[in-house]
Amino acid sequence: MSQVNVLFNALSRKSVLALSWICVLSLFLFSSSCTKKNEVGENVLKIRVPIEFKGFDPIEANDLYSSDEIGRVYEALLEQHYLKRPFELKPNLAEAMPEVSTDGLTYTFKLKKGVMFHDDKCFPNGAGRELVAKDVEYSLRRLADPKLPSLGFWIIDGKIKGLNEWRDKSKSKDKTDYDEAIEGIKVVDSHTIQFVLTGPFPQFLYALSMPFSVIVAREAVEHYKENFMNHPVGTGPFLTGEYVRSNKLIYTRNPKYRDEFYPSEGEESDKASGLLADAGKKLPIVDKIEVSVIVEDQPAWLNFLRGEIDFLPVPKDEFTNVVTSEGVLNPKLADKGILGQKAQGLDVIYTAFNMEDPLFKNNLNLRIAMSMAYDIAKMNHLFWNNLSIPAQSVVPPGVSGYDPNYKNPYRQYDVAKAKEYLAKAGYPDGKGLPEIEYYISHGTSGRQEGEAFQGMMKAINVNIKLNVIPWTELQNLVSNKRAQMYTMSWAADYPEAENFLKILYGPNKAPGSNGGNFDDPNFNKQFEIASVMQDTPERTALYDKANKYAGEQLPLIFQFHRVRYIVQQGWMRNYKFSEFTTFNSKYYGIDAAKKSELLPKLK
Amino acid sequence: MILYSFRRLLYLIPLLLGVCLFIFIVFNVVATDPAVIMLGKNATAKQINEVREQMGLNRPWIVQYFDVVKSAFTMNFGRSWYTKQDITEMIMRGAGPSLSVTLPAFVFSTIFSLLVSLVVAYYRGGKIDLLVRSICVGLVSISSLAYILLFQYLLAFKWGLFEISGYEFGFPHFLPYIILPCIIWIILSLGPDIRYFRTIVLDELYQDYVRTARAKGLSEIKVMIKHVLRNALIPVITYVVIQIPFLILGALLLESFFSIPGLGGTVLTAVNNSDFPVIKAFTILSAIAYILFNLITDLLYAAVDPRVKLE
Repeated sequence: MSQVNVLFNALSRKSVLALSWICVLSLFLFSSSCTKKNEVGENVLKIRVPIEFKGFDPIEANDLYSSDEIGRVYEALLEQHYLKRPFELKPNLAEAMPEVSTDGLTYTFKLKKGVMFHDDKCFPNGAGRELVAKDVEYSLRRLADPKLPSLGFWIIDGKIKGLNEWRDKSKSKDKTDYDEAIEGIKVVDSHTIQFVLTGPFPQFLYALSMPFSVIVAREAVEHYKENFMNHPVGTGPFLTGEYVRSNKLIYTRNPKYRDEFYPSEGEESDKASGLLADAGKKLPIVDKIEVSVIVEDQPAWLNFLRGEIDFLPVPKDEFTNVVTSEGVLNPKLADKGILGQKAQGLDVIYTAFNMEDPLFKNNLNLRIAMSMAYDIAKMNHLFWNNLSIPAQSVVPPGVSGYDPNYKNPYRQYDVAKAKEYLAKAGYPDGKGLPEIEYYISHGTSGRQEGEAFQGMMKAINVNIKLNVIPWTELQNLVSNKRAQMYTMSWAADYPEAENFLKILYGPNKAPGSNGGNFDDPNFNKQFEIASVMQDTPERTALYDKANKYAGEQLPLIFQFHRVRYIVQQGWMRNYKFSEFTTFNSKYYGIDAAKKSELLPKLK
Repeated sequence: MILYSFRRLLYLIPLLLGVCLFIFIVFNVVATDPAVIMLGKNATAKQINEVREQMGLNRPWIVQYFDVVKSAFTMNFGRSWYTKQDITEMIMRGAGPSLSVTLPAFVFSTIFSLLVSLVVAYYRGGKIDLLVRSICVGLVSISSLAYILLFQYLLAFKWGLFEISGYEFGFPHFLPYIILPCIIWIILSLGPDIRYFRTIVLDELYQDYVRTARAKGLSEIKVMIKHVLRNALIPVITYVVIQIPFLILGALLLESFFSIPGLGGTVLTAVNNSDFPVIKAFTILSAIAYILFNLITDLLYAAVDPRVKLE
């Protein structure tokens, strides 16, 4: 107690004042002198990601952000051509596109020679070895290993001869046997691998271009065990250094990366927009990539304006400051060298009816009434800056099977007709219709969107009970068929109509991808025929037919195919928007001289 | 005191059992199925069941409950389901950035608020008191988000005084990144802290011992610092010490807007992904910290007030 007394006695008016000032001053002392200076002259690409990414294990890469990080260090047999549209697959680790047997069931891949894994302590003497066909076999088996939390098995589930049998047999074993033969995966020689499929599966090549099927080294998996997720050892263009996943990841150029070159072909407009200026240049173009986790939009936007981020989709709240009413970039930003572009994604936003709910199941007229009461133009104006494309069914533009001239007759806004259909449905003026439970996730504007929907339905006397819930809760409700109506979106895993129409295919009902539980024998039959056909005009016609048929059955209220507005710094080279970004960072470039010139304009 | 402390620590056992039961029920009955979250849009019923099997979620509930209890008493929380990182390592790595913002801001705002509260209590009813109270009401009337958005835009972006966001590990590299979040924390704390401390000090000011001290001829500064402040310390200690464990958990909004890789973000990511091992670890550690800091509060009572006996 005496010490406490001494302390109190020692405190005088002056000491209290002095202490206060010291505290205040110390906070400000570090301010202006301590701000970081933007590096000029370095060939560094700066990227923002809005969430902490999951990790580097490809078999768990079922989200965009993990996929992008994985694509910087790992590679797959195939990848989407960086510039060509419509999308086109090209060889990556494969020497060429595979030889396909006439029955379409056997795919033979030749691998590039001299592809080296990154140097890592998991290899003898720490030196990366050459990638061989066994690695491809091992990586695909890992995807099917029942002892691992594989989230990508669905891409080859039941498709490769003997793979599912091996998987089922492995369940009862203590340890998965990776050396047991599988009929459908044959290592022909060190650089040749053959796959034999159980049936026609034209999407197989897409499966081999996805982040799930990048090639890993068995030594790395066995060395790092449960920590493999945090220690990527790939063949890709970049190497990881130390990183804190929730903060920043820094990649450096892989000095042993093989000779890969920037494409010299693309769309017609690519030459004019400078996207072919680096044709033939060795990849990767940048020396370093800095990926910063910036959760919120405001700091991301301010960092972009400061030149600390090289490209960014315009945050919703900034849109009117960035894009003029004519739909072009604000001249004030253009003067600073900033460039803007509209970017249409391969996706669809929809509001689903639970088709197992008796209210909707056999009542097309009710679904039509609600669809026609949905004011698409108003929603586009309120929430999508009039940029997005109203959806007529599920297949988006850019995917074969999409007909730009098609207008779904039941998707056009017409309140009078909507009321007529409501009466035909047995609910004139909404009389007798129970309140409908509608769910939407929080998102950035979930509540506002939900209230707008509620208002539109009220206009035809359909009462909606709005439930704005967290995304995970919505997923759970849909998965358990407990959401009467809900709004969600679907983005492409690969650019084929099958990947969109599958969300309406009966056998994919919840908890599968068909969360609305639509199960129509006619549609199912059309889907089954088209989805196993090779890419031909006949298949496109079938997809188109199935898309329109499903559209007019209205299992969903079709909303939009999203169009974003992307801005990039004037010094960034070769940015071309794509829905499939996994392997794209090796193509991006930074013009250091231009950066020195433009950066002062941002200050 | 040792016996008292030991007995209080024994309370941890039933408390931990209760916390384990509570989080187990919440996770298994109310929360979203983690297999559904993990598998995402391409999930099938078969795959969901397989992932549940791998995660051990299909085992009998009693077995799963004892797993939770075991991890609580061994402090071995295993690995995150989502990122596969060791949870203890995650906590150790996140605690630093969180504390680097919350601790200096908390210490400064507490000391400053206490001093200001002594001054305004002394001038109670006067112009200074009115001015400070008005400022305090003004400060608490504005939402924290407004401060963050405004200060980040104005002080960091427009005037370039601070970093907009980000974090570098290690002293002194993190300093440029924490100053602005610290200032906002302090501004947010000053309003409620000053008003609370002022009330406590005012309660003491009307006590007989203050009149006696003045009658002895002590200077006002000595009366305020030596007598009033010391006697006001008990409620202050309760208020302050109980907040300390929550400092480790960080300030969610500040961490989120300033890209500070602290524990606030870790918890949020875990909740969003139904990452039960991480949620479990944080809940259990929070409960333990709460008990420990309550005990520390009681011990401090005895240190500052001879009338308090620990039995």
